[in-house]
Amino acid sequence: MSNTAQAGTLESMDCLVTATQGVPGSGVKVEITGSSAARFKSAMEKKVNEVVVSLGAKDIDLSIQDNGAIDLVLGARVEAALKKLMGGAK
Amino acid sequence: MRRTMLYLPGNNPNMLVRGYLFGSDGLILDLEDAVAVAEKENARILVSHFLRQGEFGDCEVTVRINGLDTEYWKDDLAAIVPHKSLQGVRVPKVEDAGMVKILDEELSHVEEKNGIPVGRTKIFCLLETAQGVWNAYDVAKASPRVAAIIPGGEDLVADLKTSRSPEGTELEWARRMMVFAARAAGVDALDTVFPRVTDDEGLRREAAFIKQLGFDGKSVIHPNQIPIIHDVFNPTEKEIESALKIVAAAKEAAARGLGAVSVDGRMVDVPVVKRAEYVLLKAGITEVE
Amino acid sequence: MAKNILGREIPEFIEGYGKPLLFGGAFARKPEGNAVGAKIRCVNNDSTDKRLPDVKAAIIASGLKSGMTVSFHHHLRNGDFVVNQVIDACAELGINNLTLFPTALFGVHKKLIEHIKSGVITKIMGSVNGPIGQLVSEGGMEVPVTLRSHGGRPRAVKAGDVHIDVAFIAAPASDKYGNICGTVGKSACGSLGYAFTDAQYADCVVVITDNIQPYPASPVSISQVHADFVVEVESIGDPAGIVSGTTRVTRDPLRLLIAKYASQLIEASPYFQDGISFQTGAGGIPLAVTAFMKEAMIKRGIKGSFGLGGITSYFVELLKEGLVEKLMDVQSFDLGAVQSIAENPKHIEISADWYANPWNNGAAVNMLDVVILGATEVDTDFNANVNTEADGALLHGTGGHQDTAAGAKLTIIAQPLLRGRIPCVTDSVYSVTTPGEVIDAIVTEYGITINPRRKDLLDACAEVKGLPLVSMEELSARAKKMSGPTDPVETEDRIIGVIEWRDGTVIDTVKQLKKK
Repeated sequence: MSNTAQAGTLESMDCLVTATQGVPGSGVKVEITGSSAARFKSAMEKKVNEVVVSLGAKDIDLSIQDNGAIDLVLGARVEAALKKLMGGAK
Repeated sequence: MRRTMLYLPGNNPNMLVRGYLFGSDGLILDLEDAVAVAEKENARILVSHFLRQGEFGDCEVTVRINGLDTEYWKDDLAAIVPHKSLQGVRVPKVEDAGMVKILDEELSHVEEKNGIPVGRTKIFCLLETAQGVWNAYDVAKASPRVAAIIPGGEDLVADLKTSRSPEGTELEWARRMMVFAARAAGVDALDTVFPRVTDDEGLRREAAFIKQLGFDGKSVIHPNQIPIIHDVFNPTEKEIESALKIVAAAKEAAARGLGAVSVDGRMVDVPVVKRAEYVLLKAGITEVE
Repeated sequence: MAKNILGREIPEFIEGYGKPLLFGGAFARKPEGNAVGAKIRCVNNDSTDKRLPDVKAAIIASGLKSGMTVSFHHHLRNGDFVVNQVIDACAELGINNLTLFPTALFGVHKKLIEHIKSGVITKIMGSVNGPIGQLVSEGGMEVPVTLRSHGGRPRAVKAGDVHIDVAFIAAPASDKYGNICGTVGKSACGSLGYAFTDAQYADCVVVITDNIQPYPASPVSISQVHADFVVEVESIGDPAGIVSGTTRVTRDPLRLLIAKYASQLIEASPYFQDGISFQTGAGGIPLAVTAFMKEAMIKRGIKGSFGLGGITSYFVELLKEGLVEKLMDVQSFDLGAVQSIAENPKHIEISADWYANPWNNGAAVNMLDVVILGATEVDTDFNANVNTEADGALLHGTGGHQDTAAGAKLTIIAQPLLRGRIPCVTDSVYSVTTPGEVIDAIVTEYGITINPRRKDLLDACAEVKGLPLVSMEELSARAKKMSGPTDPVETEDRIIGVIEWRDGTVIDTVKQLKKK
């Protein structure tokens, strides 16, 4: 299992998600920066947590550099980064 | 109707969100050439999310999968086929009927596994080699799933050991072949893309040419190409007017139990009526008084 | 705290602004009494040369003191050297506590931040963009910024709301007696439309030029009767920032799609007939609308009467091709427009007063059929916001938005529904610039949304087959679905910006952003 994985880009309507494996017991930490963060942080955090829970990820640091991703895109990018980090585990 | 089918790069959210707004008849979410090798998995996940939750308006939705000679194509199918919005897959570099059969079997397998009616997913075959073009008819007949055959552009020209010219001389025979094979097999003939996205006049000329050859439509790589091709493919006012007359006369004749009739001094028989109906279909006219 | 007619809460008194008048509708407030005037001057034949050696000498001669109001025009746009030069000189002379009254500011003026921090400038009446806007939004000025439209500004001067002590007028050409014009010289900018009011109403007018012509210079935009002093400097601006090259129509498919829909709306409207007049500015979408309209005009054999406002070379082409009869130019955007206004008598220079002032005997905007505008957001009542960004920062001037919307028969806001995740349609705009009362339609990539107030337009559009009409309810539901719920902007109670409607009433205020 590698320690960190990325998915996405910094193009318009996309986001770059970096997922890092935390130490056991550290929990899930989400950091969101970028263009929509000022007004959509709560909605984005909600979406990220949904994906984290659905994939059963634990002890993960997620950093999201956003450039206007809607939920649909954000969800796909978080899923891709987590799957990569978790070694393709479903 | 498949006048235009627009390619959308599979790893580009901006185009995946907005692609359907540009009014093409179909969309091709591209997992093949538009996606770098390192991004294949990301794009596959993104495209599958869009197929599940995205909007596509009235467009026919297809995905161009990676070739059957790659390690990706089965994963591509597993990610996209379960989604209801998917209507077909466009498969690159088809060489012969055998390849279509392999794809057909895998599609049936994935459909069955996901409780989807077997045969729902159509196949659009890209014939990008001399061998593929030569086998066009067999390819088109290889499965009832085949909806259209499409000649290659750059790849085909390379395989022919020539280069692409503005006039398209080198592709002319392949295009004619495509129309013959498609018509003989009862599938659509769709043309390759026009790569020079700012050459509006060149596109208009090429669209007029392939329409005259008998193509049903053309693949598109930029939204700005769509209205130009529609403009060429849409019937003119004169064509619509004449078609309306023909269909009306045929209806009346049928009601009176007559066979052939004449409109404006011209014999109207079954093929003429069929063509007139096709013109009206393309013009979006469904009911004739 | 009182509410104006749009329900916006406006305090009885705003520190640094005074007692606000409440906005009561687009055409509600009428003027009373007489216009104010500039100090009367007398120059006889003992003075035949108004030139002074440098900017500092002119500042001293003008009598400029701490606490006074200085004005500038923005025709040199992002190439302007004059504002920074003059304020630097004021600082060196120990003058402070100035009120800055520009027609607009640009990125190049971010140098003013040091003068704001040191107290040389303590009040700004005009647009604040980029870094200055960010500074103001975060509470970097004691006194709120007053935002006025291009027409509201000359109105405020004429009505005495603002008194200009010294106007510094950058001039691409001048003679020693202060006859100036904008169409010649290395810093040519075309129309000097925004400078007229300042020349007429300031107590002292200082002309700053890098191109002295023999007396009498010609052509003349603003004549010698207004000028007190003339200063020759090495350069008033960087030509690359003053005018852009030829303006080309965008090839961005999203903008083209929106422009196409806007053009279809115009074609369906009763105004698409011989004699149509329009204003479309220089933005990507409006310019593309002009291109589509041009096609439609040729196809249907229609000829327009005039194009108004900021003029681009694209409009110049329409003039040359006979698709419009005249251009009324308050600001020339590119080289083609500068050349045309210099050479073509059908291309007319107009002042901001003539262009847009609601308190004269009729501004040019009154004669306008169609205007295409943008906005950062529009709400379900069709109120538009152009001043603040999604995060609540005050980053844009009002420009001619209010004036053209109030004047034109068909006001269209053409804008993508989504900029990234941020929607341009909301339940209630963060701050109002222009009321829905004067906005007729919003056009997005999802179609044409007509203000239900315009039943006539809805009917006209219903007759055209294939027009993509979308109701405001549908559009707003779509925006919500795609963007999700928004978090509120966190602000302090202090007001940092006062947005005036063009008649001088307060349509809204902007509050200081909370520190993150």
